[in-house]
Amino acid sequence: MTATTETHASLEDLPRRSAALSRVAFGGLVVALVLAFLLSLALGSVQIPLDQVVRVLAGGDAARDSWTKIVLTYRLPKALTAVLAGAALAVSGLQMQTFFRNPLADPSILGINAGASLGVAAVVLSAKTVAANTLLANLDVPGHLGLVASATIGAALVLVVVMVLARYVNTLTLLILGMMIGYLTNAVVSVLLYFSIADQVRAYVSWTFGSFASVTWRQMPVLAVASLVGLCLAFLLIKWLNAFLLGEGYAQSMGMPVRRARLWVVINSALLAGTVTAFCGPIGFLGVAVPHLCRALWGTADHRILIPASALMGAALALLADLAAQMPGSATVLPLNAITALLGAPVVIWVILRRTPMRAGGGW
Amino acid sequence: MRTLRHHLFALLVLALVLAGCGRATPTAVPSSPTSEPTATPEQVATAAPTDTPPPTDVPEPTELPSLESNVLTGALESYVEGMDCFPEKVTVDDATGFEVTYHGSYKVVTVPEAWAGADRAYTYVLYQRGTPPPDGFDDATLIAVPVERVVSMSTSYLAQLDLLGVVDTLVGADSVAYASTHSVVARAEAGEIIEVGYGSDVNVEQVIDLDPSVVLTYGLGDEWDSHPKLLEAGVTTVLSAEAREADPLSRAEWIKFIALFYNREAQANEIFDAIVERYQSLIDLAADVTERPTVFLNAPWGDTWYMAGGQSYVAHLLRAAGADYLWSEDTSPDALYLDFETVYDQALDAEYWLHTSTWSTLDEALAMDERFGDFAAFQSGQVYNNNLRTNPSGGNDYWESGVINPDLMLADLIRIFHPELLPDHDLVYYQQLAPLTQE
Repeated sequence: MTATTETHASLEDLPRRSAALSRVAFGGLVVALVLAFLLSLALGSVQIPLDQVVRVLAGGDAARDSWTKIVLTYRLPKALTAVLAGAALAVSGLQMQTFFRNPLADPSILGINAGASLGVAAVVLSAKTVAANTLLANLDVPGHLGLVASATIGAALVLVVVMVLARYVNTLTLLILGMMIGYLTNAVVSVLLYFSIADQVRAYVSWTFGSFASVTWRQMPVLAVASLVGLCLAFLLIKWLNAFLLGEGYAQSMGMPVRRARLWVVINSALLAGTVTAFCGPIGFLGVAVPHLCRALWGTADHRILIPASALMGAALALLADLAAQMPGSATVLPLNAITALLGAPVVIWVILRRTPMRAGGGW
Repeated sequence: MRTLRHHLFALLVLALVLAGCGRATPTAVPSSPTSEPTATPEQVATAAPTDTPPPTDVPEPTELPSLESNVLTGALESYVEGMDCFPEKVTVDDATGFEVTYHGSYKVVTVPEAWAGADRAYTYVLYQRGTPPPDGFDDATLIAVPVERVVSMSTSYLAQLDLLGVVDTLVGADSVAYASTHSVVARAEAGEIIEVGYGSDVNVEQVIDLDPSVVLTYGLGDEWDSHPKLLEAGVTTVLSAEAREADPLSRAEWIKFIALFYNREAQANEIFDAIVERYQSLIDLAADVTERPTVFLNAPWGDTWYMAGGQSYVAHLLRAAGADYLWSEDTSPDALYLDFETVYDQALDAEYWLHTSTWSTLDEALAMDERFGDFAAFQSGQVYNNNLRTNPSGGNDYWESGVINPDLMLADLIRIFHPELLPDHDLVYYQQLAPLTQE
């Protein structure tokens, strides 16, 4: 996994902004992220005065007991979840776009999301609502962790299938197989939905809207560890990802172990996407739109820039999307996925219509 | 030249056809007896499909025959035009969702707004079997009563059919898995009720095959409704707007609506008057309470916490039971879309928590989200759910027999909020969530 001078030279040939501008952009992004995080804590459907928020964060108590609890047990974990989920989805989407050399690839392209949906559907839509609840209660498995666990199992099953396939088939075939697996699992979910009663259908549909708010402090360690491990792994894969940009044949000639590289990229992307889906439901558009935004902003396809940039940008946009969905000041709430689509689709349209540097160097 | 010949030939054919039609008209015999202004006994004898011998003594009828009670089964045998076929009538006192007027041999039932924003009223002309269908109702649905075969598209109607004693007319239902009414379940197990599917997935062919006199259903005004398909197929479909009534008594009054199709007005009046009496006495019982405990409802679905509006059915019941519903000042009859933060902020100190999703134990609540444990109602164990009477498939009797038992619902709530007022009442629809098993 050693970089060769030839690889470096060709990468530096790619057109990009000067290093100074790049640093400014990064700095700006970090500032934006911090601001978005603080806004998430300060704004919400309940209007809490800013000084009270600050007091609670500093370890004190707010004037009202409910305000302290809202900031610490609701807004803080929600903001943290958004940061982790946004970063994970963006990096996962970036890897999928590079791996498949497809600008429209997103984290769900391997069918991982569909697998998670199937896991959730199997639990939520099982024939006897009452019986299912008592079963979960008797197993001493917390109800919501039951959802997370079932989503993880579903995603993991699909991941295993995809991993096995990744060893033997080429990239294009893998893409199509992933999509077909996705269609298959969605078909099974449709049949389960058809035979369910209204309450169960509503519970399942609520899950598909996506939400950062359902992760409590008890569940946070698992989400945090899984996302951070995935993100670190992505950093380690930077060199391989850059090599993928130049084509698999070229990469192989440079000494990259193509099969192992493909396997690890798939595992990493699936881990990130599956974790987020398990805890937050299927969240769309962040994985597709953020890498494109970063490419356009930095004018490069180099993963040494794009991986950290996507992580930060994904986190910031996720926070903003959540804020928009909360509609601060009003008691109503919009589904998260609707907001990410409203934000993400125009970005993708704009990017596709523009001429971007990725065409020159990325080999699309 | 050839064109002219063709035109002449066509004109000739047209002329012949017109002449033929013209000649046919004067010889047509009016066969409908309702066009006759006066009905003589001889005509009545030939019109009615029975073998009643014509009366020998035939004075000009100055007084129409009168019935002692409504015809509960079959056809009216001695119909005289102008007579009142329905001596037993209902008047709609509280409900606003339907109206009925009586006209001798038929009743006109109108549902002005079957769903919020419905673009038309639905009119049903219920005429007595054995009498001729009335004229002049081209826009309405004509139905011969009492009906003999009924398909029900909601469990809400089952308890009412049972109470009126007409479950043996039920030949089809959207689904029997969620039914709680014993007579219906027994009939389904005997194979006498065919399942026809619900909503827009209703199996129209199956319904047509059942040959129902009436399909009882409801509409929401969206693509899940079953009635458009049924109406298109020519099935006699009746839309009930019972679920739109915000007042529990008004909702219970819809037993009169069902009764109209069976001529069982007398029975419906008796039932409803008894309900009103019981309900009113419970209201009086709770009217003078000095303290109203605070209460909030439901649990979130994903990010959204639906909360019943201040003018909703549930809000009415809570108010009548002597509780202080935290959203009672809201003016909407529909549900509010709130989020966790808002409810948390307003209801953290509320004394009671009702209608908690599908939970039966506090463990389930905590497992769903550990933050539910912060609510004062949770900590004191004052959490109640209306799922005590649920059948094995998950069908909740609260929505089935509850409709005609608003007094039992109210008694349950009074027992919960003010146990000293009804110490001997055992909860019928509600149960207190089982306490935590750990710590």
